Amino acid sequence: MPARIETQKNELRPSEKLRRAWLLFFFFFRIGFFTFGGGWSIIAQMTREFVEKRKWLTNEALMDNVSISQSLPGIMIINCSVQFGYSMGGVLCAFASALGIALPSFLILMIVTYAYNVFADNIYVARALVGVRAAVVPIIISAILRLRKAALKDALGWIFASLALLLCLFTNVSRALIILVGGIAGVLILNARHRKEEK
Amino acid sequence: MVYLQLFLSFMKIGFTSFGGLSMVSVINQEMLTHGWMTQQEIGDIIAIAEMTPGSLGINCATFAGIKTAGVLGGIVSTLGVMVPSLSLCLIAAVFIAHFRKSRFITDLLSSVRPVCLGLICATALTLMQSNFLPGWSFCWQAVVIAAAAGFLMWKFKLSIPVVIMISAALGLLIVR
Repeated sequence: MPARIETQKNELRPSEKLRRAWLLFFFFFRIGFFTFGGGWSIIAQMTREFVEKRKWLTNEALMDNVSISQSLPGIMIINCSVQFGYSMGGVLCAFASALGIALPSFLILMIVTYAYNVFADNIYVARALVGVRAAVVPIIISAILRLRKAALKDALGWIFASLALLLCLFTNVSRALIILVGGIAGVLILNARHRKEEK
Repeated sequence: MVYLQLFLSFMKIGFTSFGGLSMVSVINQEMLTHGWMTQQEIGDIIAIAEMTPGSLGINCATFAGIKTAGVLGGIVSTLGVMVPSLSLCLIAAVFIAHFRKSRFITDLLSSVRPVCLGLICATALTLMQSNFLPGWSFCWQAVVIAAAAGFLMWKFKLSIPVVIMISAALGLLIVR
């Protein structure tokens, strides 16, 4: 599946590339208004739109995208959209996606900055936000359920996932470091496994 | 040149942050030393970032930029905080696309995937605690809304924006 997408990218005509850049810009602009919960809900939206509806990428590729985005500095959701945009149509699409996702927060914050006092102490705003924040929990859980099969393929996967969960909940180790250590440990273990198979 | 200063400051914040609240300390330091925001405003912007869509980094850049130098200030700050994504992350994307088929990269990615899933689970649990048990007091309304939102997504396949808007309406109705 990923191989097919790659060849597609190389064959894209400039007009097709531009069309895709617009499409990505508008998609990310649209979901940008609903990225509550530190941006995690966009992962759920991306699995729905691009994995299930358009079949542009696999759950595995999306996981890779999220892992890389978390282990590099910068804002996670912007990293995520840059990675995804690039894989869909090169640098142009990467920029289109990044601008698309950043623009809604910019517009909303512009209004909030000017209407700050009205916004901050409004009881109705606070009540609606309790609802919005509560909804983010099942949204993220739905993303986890969709990505589960792509990530947990064997016992090693379960062990790595549980260790990462525990480290993240009960220690102050940064997420980037957890991913880095997990990656190194994984490469070493799989390397040993390949060597055994070759013998 | 205040625009250049804002741009460089937020670029620095972007490069030294690894997601979420880890950027608060850098933001604190940069805003206070330049006198762009007060401690009170920094506290407020974190609360606002929680309330509005988008990440803390972008929201803070927009807020501080506009307060300091108007809309243009907001634009340069936001672009500044995006520089790491548009440079480092883009290079990583190019690199991965070229070497995707090498055994090293396949091994690396397939072992990082479960780690990443574990981290997403941790986020879900943290959010559950902060929304359902704010200050360790049980908020039944949040649990009801979350259950309703989950049901609507699972049973009727409603899109996420629609679910968020319904949940906001429910919040207005039942939260006291």
